[in-house]
Amino acid sequence: MADRVLLTIGTRKGVFVAEAAKARRTFALRGPFGPGVPVYSTLIDDRGTPRLYASSCNPFFGMKLLCSTDLGKSFKETASAPAFPKDDGRALANIWALEFGDRRKELWCGVEPASLFRSHDGGDSWEMVPGISNHEHSRKWQPGAGGLCLHTILRDGDRVHLGISTGGHYLSEDGGQTFRASNQGIGAGFAPDPYPEFGQCVHKIARHEDAPGRLYMQNHGGWADWTGPGGPRPNIGVLRSDDHGRSWRSIAAGLPSDFGFPIVVHPHDADTVYVMPLEPATRTCPGGAPAVWRSENGGDSWSRLSHGLPKKQTYFTVQRDAMTIDRLKAPALYFGTTTGQLWIGREGGERFDCLFDSLPPVHNVKVAVV
Amino acid sequence: MGTAPVITIHLPGPLRPYCAGASRLSIAAGTIRAALEHLERNQAALHRSLCDETGALRRHLNVFVNSENVRDLDGVDTTLAAGDVVTFLPAVSGG
Repeated sequence: MADRVLLTIGTRKGVFVAEAAKARRTFALRGPFGPGVPVYSTLIDDRGTPRLYASSCNPFFGMKLLCSTDLGKSFKETASAPAFPKDDGRALANIWALEFGDRRKELWCGVEPASLFRSHDGGDSWEMVPGISNHEHSRKWQPGAGGLCLHTILRDGDRVHLGISTGGHYLSEDGGQTFRASNQGIGAGFAPDPYPEFGQCVHKIARHEDAPGRLYMQNHGGWADWTGPGGPRPNIGVLRSDDHGRSWRSIAAGLPSDFGFPIVVHPHDADTVYVMPLEPATRTCPGGAPAVWRSENGGDSWSRLSHGLPKKQTYFTVQRDAMTIDRLKAPALYFGTTTGQLWIGREGGERFDCLFDSLPPVHNVKVAVV
Repeated sequence: MGTAPVITIHLPGPLRPYCAGASRLSIAAGTIRAALEHLERNQAALHRSLCDETGALRRHLNVFVNSENVRDLDGVDTTLAAGDVVTFLPAVSGG
């Protein structure tokens, strides 16, 4: 079969799957699957026969995990979803992150309240990862506006990076057995200490597979004008690490706002990174004119990409997992909005087209070429 | 110890896939708590949809005994009599 571009679109009302030929001129939409139920995380495991996963976070009846083995033509519930041990005292409130592990059918899952689970059988059974779930800091983490969530899992051999809102960046160098807070240089705006050991509201972390030491972070910015204890904290929102996340420095200068949620790295160039700046108070596009901002030099400077996007009176939010990029030679960027639009940014974001304009509010978008 | 009364549990559509499509279950239980414990033993998938892993009823779920919300009675300790109908319904607060 010729290569197909497959998108999973997790929304407030179920998961949709969109499919296109490599040219990506038009996408066919299927779904919703798990209709009416919020989907905060999806995953396309494209190793071998593709498997699609979607968290189905039912506020009435609890968490489920959906799996498709037919490219998203149908989904079935796995035998179980992550769950805390009965005597733990915590109850699963949401599934925020799904990533695949080294072995076929190995899955990692980040949840609310912030904890990590692992499956070795494609999501039919789960075990809690105690090194982070029972970390000595875990009972001190605080929920952000989205809840206390473990939303980012990045793996690089024995290194595991986790993003927790609000907990910060946690790093394991022993395959996930133990974790330590690794937040040097990451600011916090909602605590008297601008650079605490942990407790930062990290929104998303991204990296290029071939440059694992280089990490980018969208942190909770918007504190340049703070006049309370600790003083103003300009440019704490967009950061870079060049030492596997041990230390971080700001790359926010030149952006219209250092607040935002997603951050995405170009698949063929570790120096090219994309963010979607938002006004910190409203969490909508600055001036009502949405734009993706791109740096092609690792964050030293930024340029505005908005060709094809509305020029005014547009007030959507793009959530932390709602922007992604495919791996084709001329990659396309994709982002979904809280107003139910799905946009494609052709040629790395040079030209935007709206693929779908009346979906439910979009929580996440993932893409694979299968 | 007396025999527990036989009651009927009425299930809304979204819960029926977790009990082989049944819309009603007849079980013997003297309280809502006992009914939930019975479901945990005999209808584990259904129980997971009604209660979280701590055993607490899910937040956006209402439980009625006949026409009374157990929140206005004795919660999960509400006693049941033979012939009572227990209904699990999503609360409108869930959004």
